[in-house]
Amino acid sequence: MATREEGRGMLATYDVTKTDKRFIGAHILVAVIALSIGSLFGPLQAFQFSGVDLYPYLQPVFKSYYQGLTIHGVLNALVWTTFFITGFFTLTTILGFKRGLRYPKLNRVGFWTMVAGLVMAAIPILLDEATVLYTFYPPLQANWAFYTGLTLVVVGSWIEGYGFFFTYRAWRKENPDTRTPFIAFGGLVTMAMWQFATLGIAVEILTMLLPWSLGLIEGTDPQLARTYFWFTGHPLVYFWLLPAYVSWYGMLPKQAGGKLFSDSLARLAMWLFLLLSVPLGFHHQFVDPGIPAGWKYIHAVLTYSVFLPSMLTAFTVIASLERAARKRGGRGLFGWVRALPWSNGSVAAQLLAGILFMFGGIGGLTNASYNVNLVIHNTTWVPGHFHLTVASAATLSFMGISYWLVPWITGKPLWKPRLAVIQTWTWFIGMLIFSNAMHVLGLLGAPRRTPLGVAPYVSEEWSGHLLRVGLGGAILFVSAVMFVWIVARTTWGKERLGANEEIEVPIAESEQDPQLTPLWLDRWVPWIVGTVLLILVAYGPQLIDQIANIDLGSGQAPSIRPW
Amino acid sequence: MADEQETEAEAEEFHPRGTVAILVMFVLAIIILWGSVYVILLSRGVTV
Repeated sequence: MATREEGRGMLATYDVTKTDKRFIGAHILVAVIALSIGSLFGPLQAFQFSGVDLYPYLQPVFKSYYQGLTIHGVLNALVWTTFFITGFFTLTTILGFKRGLRYPKLNRVGFWTMVAGLVMAAIPILLDEATVLYTFYPPLQANWAFYTGLTLVVVGSWIEGYGFFFTYRAWRKENPDTRTPFIAFGGLVTMAMWQFATLGIAVEILTMLLPWSLGLIEGTDPQLARTYFWFTGHPLVYFWLLPAYVSWYGMLPKQAGGKLFSDSLARLAMWLFLLLSVPLGFHHQFVDPGIPAGWKYIHAVLTYSVFLPSMLTAFTVIASLERAARKRGGRGLFGWVRALPWSNGSVAAQLLAGILFMFGGIGGLTNASYNVNLVIHNTTWVPGHFHLTVASAATLSFMGISYWLVPWITGKPLWKPRLAVIQTWTWFIGMLIFSNAMHVLGLLGAPRRTPLGVAPYVSEEWSGHLLRVGLGGAILFVSAVMFVWIVARTTWGKERLGANEEIEVPIAESEQDPQLTPLWLDRWVPWIVGTVLLILVAYGPQLIDQIANIDLGSGQAPSIRPW
Repeated sequence: MADEQETEAEAEEFHPRGTVAILVMFVLAIIILWGSVYVILLSRGVTV
């Protein structure tokens, strides 16, 4: 496929090679396999809540609820997302810059490093040697291979990011005065944020968890480990979300028949996410006794500041869609919504993902509040919330992207497009039921990370909501099967596109010429410097204090293996 | 050419009223739902 753009008197062309497509496809293949396996365990948790415990029937292959929860979390929240995102950004980099990767071998090294890490982490998980959930807090201790494997996945994603940065540098040398194409720009900002964000988990694993699991140190420091973890853990949410935003800003308007409402606002939001994603992890640690209240307050305020780029995103994306819908004949204050192309599964998935995410945003503000957080902390509200982010805004958007991406990669038409629409709606309905029930249960005091189906303290008023968790989980499972089936039948089906047909990658133009976007929104140095400074201010003093008081002796926290 | 001119004219006239209305409703929903959790906090005696 050739992409063309006439800009500033230059004609830019690039023929995407089969090798490029295969490389992107390899990412998507691993991602979908991970989603398939991980999704098998989601309903097992949900059914367990509603009193149907299927785990005893899985003995001796799968040992416990917690092993299943670990598989579900690691494969769906970490592996499906990371592989899909790096594959998607390979595409946005190539098509955005209209050139091949600068060092394709480097990106291949990154990809295979991630695959090696995935295999290495999967083995102890499947052997029940790493039943520590995807948050893997010490003093729960996993086999060393689990930590090493996750490290390799992160390092592989770094390497793929370096590949994108080198490609950008090569493009920039040839185009010194051109604004960075938005879809490529969004990928670069996300991967830059990821480089900063993952420093926390890298330090945690390399200095504490790995030597601890190898027996080189006696104990670990759970407080410092949790601080390192949430240094990465919260921006991980933005690593999931920003690729969806790239599609919502840079692709969805085109699919809806319109344009990006404001290139400047879109870039400003992306920069603000880079600036603000990392220095707010303490809002996950509001009840941790080792962190002073003042620092928790600072992080609460910084978390609230993310509301600004979030609202910028909501405004710009919805305005782009409204403009597109009105061009399609949409009328009225809200009636234009009906004029959007809901019959397109890719569009419907992303629209529904956005609607679910609005509820996620409301819950997120509750999580961020220093006082109100106490009502829902460590309750089922929290997984109810993050299923609206990673499992809705991100996953449902990625499903929608897959509905044009897989045909584009394979050169085959999407198998049963109407079924794709039904799949997106079933995901939406299942998630509404599941997530709402989890939120309500959380408000009633139901703890998270707990097999509530066997808990002796379940009150009568929880029972109806527990049943709804099971119902929502069942619908989501059916929807996941439909998605995987559609992708598989598209990939391995015999039907091919006609000789004159090709799948167009939906790249939205901006209403305004991007060259008119202010230069400061296309310059890296001030934003990178600002990001580093804000991280140092928000985390530096506390990290220094916690590291100065570290205790890695066995008296601090010996390993615990309760499963 | 005529289409382009029309599009530009429409673009100049476009005011995202529907978008603003949706976002106003969103902010109201935030206030109401956040407030309801705050009431739960208070009902538990502030210190939970």
